[in-house]
Amino acid sequence: MPISDIPILSMLRTRMQWHQVRQQVLAENVANADTPNYRARDLAPLDFSRELQTASLGLAGTNPNHIASTSGGGSGSQFESDATARYEIRPRGNSVSHEDEMMKVAGNQMDYEAVTSLYTHSLALIKLAIGK
Amino acid sequence: MPSMDFLKSLTVAASGLRAQVGRMRIISENIANADSVAQSPGGDPYRRRIVTFASELDRTIDANVVKIGPVETDSSDFLVRHEPGNPAADNKGDVKYPNVNTLVEMTDLRDAQRSYEANLNVITATRRMLQRTIDVLKS
Repeated sequence: MPISDIPILSMLRTRMQWHQVRQQVLAENVANADTPNYRARDLAPLDFSRELQTASLGLAGTNPNHIASTSGGGSGSQFESDATARYEIRPRGNSVSHEDEMMKVAGNQMDYEAVTSLYTHSLALIKLAIGK
Repeated sequence: MPSMDFLKSLTVAASGLRAQVGRMRIISENIANADSVAQSPGGDPYRRRIVTFASELDRTIDANVVKIGPVETDSSDFLVRHEPGNPAADNKGDVKYPNVNTLVEMTDLRDAQRSYEANLNVITATRRMLQRTIDVLKS
């Protein structure tokens, strides 16, 4: 089993990817803040329970008499974007609010930093286990 | 290629910077020409110009960047003042001044500046996230 397939690392990686895609969606919103008829978009939140299922944390069945674990294969973890109800829509038909987007960018950045430090710590645990 | 998304975010934010700079340029043209009357008697003065924005799918990075569309002219009426001594006056002594309202232009400029700063903010945040990704490799 390669190190990158360890469930915690692959889950964290999915989460990092989600934050990267979200950063792109937020960047599009800010860049198009003055484009007529542009509607702000956001990513649908990452479904963690589905991630748990796809990360195959279940038990391996080595004997047909073993009770199967409940890990089902979820559909591919493509992220969906979500046109949420917005606070205001300006006369130009544009619904981007700078304040809102700045809050989201800052939140996204902090969450990403939390995930990367979790990733670093998980790697440190593995290094500890192999005695380095 | 996960880190490609950060480059996409940077490209999108940079397109926003470029668009806002173009908008500021047109606004400063308007302000600079706020008193530019015609060169010949009775002619038309400078006409206010307006920047348009359009969202466009950049196929090389698969993201919605912003582009400056055609620069339109403001078709509203010119300001007419009675100045018989002015070289640009017509035979009734009226001079047409540009349809530029400096106050409107200044508010527009402030708005462009705010949008520029927002895009800059996104770039700063994205760069920090990219730096954190590199820090994972270093650890």
